[in-house]
Amino acid sequence: MFFNTHETFGLISRILHWTMALLILSLLALGLTIADMEPSLDSLWLYGLHKSLGFVALILVLLRLVWHRISPPPHPLGDPAALPQRLARGAHRVIYALLVIIPMAGWVGSSATGLDTVLFNTLTLPPIAPVSEAWETTAFTVHWATTWTLMGVLGLHIAGAFARAIKGDNTLERMISGS
Amino acid sequence: MSMTKARALILALGVVSTIFVAGPGLADPTGYSLQPNGTTVGFSTDFGKDEITGQFPITSANLKLDFENPGQSTIDVTLNVADANASFPFAAQALKGPKVLNASEFPEITFTSTKIRAEGEGARVEGDITIRGVTKSVVLFAQFWQQKGQAAGDLHLLKIRLTGALMRSDFGATGWSDMVGDEVRLDILALIEQEK
Repeated sequence: MFFNTHETFGLISRILHWTMALLILSLLALGLTIADMEPSLDSLWLYGLHKSLGFVALILVLLRLVWHRISPPPHPLGDPAALPQRLARGAHRVIYALLVIIPMAGWVGSSATGLDTVLFNTLTLPPIAPVSEAWETTAFTVHWATTWTLMGVLGLHIAGAFARAIKGDNTLERMISGS
Repeated sequence: MSMTKARALILALGVVSTIFVAGPGLADPTGYSLQPNGTTVGFSTDFGKDEITGQFPITSANLKLDFENPGQSTIDVTLNVADANASFPFAAQALKGPKVLNASEFPEITFTSTKIRAEGEGARVEGDITIRGVTKSVVLFAQFWQQKGQAAGDLHLLKIRLTGALMRSDFGATGWSDMVGDEVRLDILALIEQEK
């Protein structure tokens, strides 16, 4: 039930997948909001929320990578040598890489501002970059560019999932119900 | 401290203006010392629709006031940047960080008066202020009040309020300029006592 098999997704992989899907959309919405707004005392907490959820997303993606070592995901449906399957495999790798790079870039940029990165109003993350405007600008540029790359690749990922579902392929269904 | 609070305090002290009217002779400028309990160096600046406020501790102050001949008066003040506070924690960190006051490199703000003259019911205090190692001229307006119950000519204990504003960008303190206002308003309230 919890573990993946050769053919099915276990509960843990499915929960990680859909929790992250929700988190990524929330983080995008929050990120776009704080990038555009004029900050004030009432809205300061939105930065904290974005950083808190972003850190949770980073932990979840690392857990997921560890989980895949413990319980590898099922083989893809269809011919693994066919182009759609190869594209899907490439997209998955890019998504995992970006899911690590994006929050790390946010953490580096936040550290470089010299302000504490406080999660859920309680936990202060250690800074991982020197206080420097060059580091700050570079890190947030990377954060921004990689986020839009992720959105593009996720667009393909979602389109691929629906395209398979329309063709009667079970890929989307087994990420929802397991088999 | 907000304007209204400051006003309320001044009213409570019992406002006595026109101290600059010549009184019985005090020939030389008189030294005054600050009473820490009655003294705050406050600032405020815009943060969106809100304000960031905060205070600087005073490292030292040297006041020589001449109420008969205000031009003889001098004011020198050194502020402690490293221990400054602000109305919320991020603001204090930002204030002291390298993009604003850079407290680790420039731990002090100094002010030295260059020209003081009576104006209105108070005084116009012109001086040089050094922030982040950059020295610029700034004009503050001073008002004085006696404490409640003091006799008309008794100047041994006074409340002084200095107000003014500066542009932080003039001093290179440009951090977070997209979020936080450039104009920084100063509101300094000091309780001063004649040195014996």
